[in-house]
Amino acid sequence: MAPIDILELNLTDLSKLIVARELSSTEAVKTALARLDHLDDKLNAFITVLREQAPAEAKQADEEIGRGNYRGPLHGIPVTIKDMFETAGVLTTGGSKILADWVPETDSALVEHLRAAGAIIIGKTNLDEFGHGGTSTLSHFGPVHNPWNLDRIAGGSSGGSAAAVAAGIGPLSYGTETGSSVRRPASYCGITGFKPTFGIISRHGSFRGAWSQDHVGLFARSVKDITLGLDPVAGFDPRDPASVRQDEPAYTTRLEANVRGLKVAVLRRFLDGVNSEVRQSFDRALKVFAGAGCEIVDLDVPELSYAAMTSMLTSSAESAGINRRWFHERHQDYVPHVSRGIAVGMTITASEYLTAQRARHKIREAVRAAYEKVDIIASPTTARVAPLLSDGVKGNGDDTRHASYNQSNLLRFPSMLGLPGCSLPCGINSESLPIGMQLIGAWFADQTVLNAALTYQTLTDWHTRRPALVKA
Amino acid sequence: MTDKVARRLALLEGAEFSPADLEAIVTELEDLEHVVAELEEFAQDTPWISLQVQPAGEKV
Repeated sequence: MAPIDILELNLTDLSKLIVARELSSTEAVKTALARLDHLDDKLNAFITVLREQAPAEAKQADEEIGRGNYRGPLHGIPVTIKDMFETAGVLTTGGSKILADWVPETDSALVEHLRAAGAIIIGKTNLDEFGHGGTSTLSHFGPVHNPWNLDRIAGGSSGGSAAAVAAGIGPLSYGTETGSSVRRPASYCGITGFKPTFGIISRHGSFRGAWSQDHVGLFARSVKDITLGLDPVAGFDPRDPASVRQDEPAYTTRLEANVRGLKVAVLRRFLDGVNSEVRQSFDRALKVFAGAGCEIVDLDVPELSYAAMTSMLTSSAESAGINRRWFHERHQDYVPHVSRGIAVGMTITASEYLTAQRARHKIREAVRAAYEKVDIIASPTTARVAPLLSDGVKGNGDDTRHASYNQSNLLRFPSMLGLPGCSLPCGINSESLPIGMQLIGAWFADQTVLNAALTYQTLTDWHTRRPALVKA
Repeated sequence: MTDKVARRLALLEGAEFSPADLEAIVTELEDLEHVVAELEEFAQDTPWISLQVQPAGEKV
């Protein structure tokens, strides 16, 4: 099989070939590493590449599968992880100069699960320092470039993971999200990104951005691949105080393209500032859902106009608490923008933080009432396509300073409230850049969100589009 | 710079920044004052949050 065929395979098909022994894990890993070496000078998506360890583990996987000890759909599959997750014996930086040489002795919970499932970690991806940002330009290791246009950002903070999947460097990557760090880069990079309900995936052994908003999430080219990557890593973990007791994960077996009767809500007041091409793609996507049997309804939750500022105040205060010691000892070693953000967080008083939590509670109650009437809230994931690198952190166009109907409220409320959310491609604009929409479900309605996303991907082919860089 | 912003800067406990960084921080602190004021008004009729720390679902 020619190498390019392997890279174009989704996780589902790659897995089938490996278990059938029509393709070896060794060959799959070797091909992914070759693609990484070919493209990463342009993308800067990786901080660490496991050039020796990954092929050795792939060889071991081939031997196990050959003996009939097949562990499941991730066995022998090359995957990547954001450099937020601790990996025993492997550099773990958080994108920071502060930990530029740190090698942990233990694995994070995510890595434990991936190793148990037989996945082969081929690299650790670039990010905004400790997850503090929405562009992946705030890394000690330099900015991540978008595979669709190298002058554009990949989005952040999990931009390296999104860029890797979009570029075909492994079919699956794991990231984290505190504000929008899975859904935004997924949208900008034209792939599928999913963050489950708060507490579904353990965060043990990953750096904290803001403990009450941090989630682990996934990137893949389709929602079917997302569920294959979700099942092995979901589950209760007493080492994470936010972890929830839950049934044995079975998102893949319960995945079905049936949304008949589902109520999909649109909060139109928040869409006024959305770019016209993005809006048109979203409106077309709504028609697809209507055609599949959904009822599209208008919804008004004015409390959400306070979501972005509440989320930002909360995460600023929490990240200042987390970074307090390092900030005092070596604040000059942070990326300047991140250092300034921590400084601002350091000045937030306890009573101000509690005010934000009261606001958060009020927003949560309004959203809870909304989900008694509807099943899913849908919106464009971002108000615009990936901005230029030269626009810097302002390029995202977020407004976290005022109560408003800015679309950034819709981007930030799912992480602040712990709701499951999926971003999936729904168009390409006139500049050949991908457009994403997000589907947000009620707490623990993860399967509903995934099924709706599958329905859309069954009826459309936006998720199969690839950047010119890859096709070349 | 307002007194409120000056009081916030004092909480940084001597961390030194370049003039440009300091100017950016002051701007963000002025924004923060607006954010806090808006949130206080928005949240004033909301009950205080009660969070306990017992293991969930267990009788202690």
